[in-house]
Amino acid sequence: MSPASAVYASPPSVDTLYIDHHSWLRAWLQRRLGNAADAADLAHEAFLRLIIKPASRGFHSPLEARAYLRSMAQGMCINLWRRREIEQAWLDTLAAQPEDFAPSAERQAIVLEALHEIATLLQGLSAKAAQAFLMSTVCGMTALEVGNELGVSSRMVRKYVAQAMLRCMQAQARQTVAALRSTPAAA
Amino acid sequence: MPATPSTETIQPDDHQVEISPSHTVMEQAAQWYALLISGDADTTDRARWQAWLSASRQHRHAWSYVESVSQRVLAPLQSAPDPALLAAKVQNVHARERSRRRALVGLAALGGLSLLGWTGWTHTPIPELVAEWTADYHTGMGDIRAFKLPDGSRIWLNAASAVNADMPPDVRKLTLLSGEILVSTAHGDVRPFVVETPQGRMRALGTRFTVRRESGQTFLAVYDGAVEIRTAASGATTIITAGQQTYFEPDRITNATQADPAREAWSRGDLIAWDLSLADVVRELDRYYTGHISLAPAVARRRVFGTFPLRDVDGALAMLADTASLRISKPLPWWISIDDTSDEADAQPD
Repeated sequence: MSPASAVYASPPSVDTLYIDHHSWLRAWLQRRLGNAADAADLAHEAFLRLIIKPASRGFHSPLEARAYLRSMAQGMCINLWRRREIEQAWLDTLAAQPEDFAPSAERQAIVLEALHEIATLLQGLSAKAAQAFLMSTVCGMTALEVGNELGVSSRMVRKYVAQAMLRCMQAQARQTVAALRSTPAAA
Repeated sequence: MPATPSTETIQPDDHQVEISPSHTVMEQAAQWYALLISGDADTTDRARWQAWLSASRQHRHAWSYVESVSQRVLAPLQSAPDPALLAAKVQNVHARERSRRRALVGLAALGGLSLLGWTGWTHTPIPELVAEWTADYHTGMGDIRAFKLPDGSRIWLNAASAVNADMPPDVRKLTLLSGEILVSTAHGDVRPFVVETPQGRMRALGTRFTVRRESGQTFLAVYDGAVEIRTAASGATTIITAGQQTYFEPDRITNATQADPAREAWSRGDLIAWDLSLADVVRELDRYYTGHISLAPAVARRRVFGTFPLRDVDGALAMLADTASLRISKPLPWWISIDDTSDEADAQPD
């Protein structure tokens, strides 16, 4: 543990950061997640990310490094919780079905993947926009029905749907470009 | 509000990568999609969409993204058992994540200093209360307001604060009657700028600073320039420079300590909590709430991280509930009770 007032004489290497902060970060994550294995995984991942993509400004002090690691870890916790909650949502939905209903493992995997993807894509959208998009697309409700449900005009519903769809399209476009780039000579 | 996600121009560095449709064309495609699935589209609309599609290769390219999103992400969910239940659950996950993320806004920008000096407000005696209502500038409960003074200086009054302004030819004087004020002085006015409290007089030396009245003492934090303190009884003087804060009484000035930049955040309507105890956060929120907030002792020491909207106490509490595993209930319309969610909420790791 470094004293709060300490500063780094030169930009610290990942090794130094690891020695100074790894066990602190793991303990912090463990308190937050209540689970030692998850905490160890995320702490490991946080340092991997530091190696792959170092903080742009570098760190001047241990305090700054911890603030950075902590906000990174906060984001990772949120992602982990989202994945867990999505998995739970799918299990709950399955459990609510009649007993003889049993989709194949493959089918289940496809639905679960789609759920994770939609939850990620909706990030950053307002609650109403996300709701309007889900009701219109997944539930197949008309804009008028969705509007009545949410207390907005059907024009507004169309705007929400377009906004959410644009976001999905952009993500799709990025993925397509990345995939093409990673296999340059495949064709 | 149409969110306009930042356009990312994809620079093709490979001949196989077709030039991506422009942001405008992507937007048009998304709007066509929204219209076509809305149930409001008639045959004319569909014909216009067909015409739009055949008009350009870029249009068709943009539409291909609509199709791949539909097939890859939306179709599996539409054909899943009970899409309505599934959609509602995804919506819940989204709402929870949203409030978790909101609680993080601004954290990355902070240096990890803990928020000092969020001590409680003292009860205001009646004569002072009257003075507050007749003050030149005042704010009520839960109110944060910005004012521009005649000389061009700007002041922000925190909740339940009052200040008088005197601008005779030779001086610019503010008298802080209660609460807290953030001052950003105007340049180019040669008259001295002073703020008075019963504990003393602060003279601004070209600057931005916060003054808060507490029981028997004055709190001062300087963010820019410097401020000179002269105490009311002993007449002792000290200069507090940018990045420092201190407390003073009529006959004593406490040694300056490092000022917390987050301390300024209230002028924007946010409380930034970095490793504060829940009790500190609730005490602060309480000042913006006309009713009573009751906090269970069991959770008072829980640490809190996040940015909370001071203008929306209910919203701030909902965010707290979500990030700190708390149960918020309202047994009476003006009474908010904060308690632990469950016994496992703060479970120790194995």
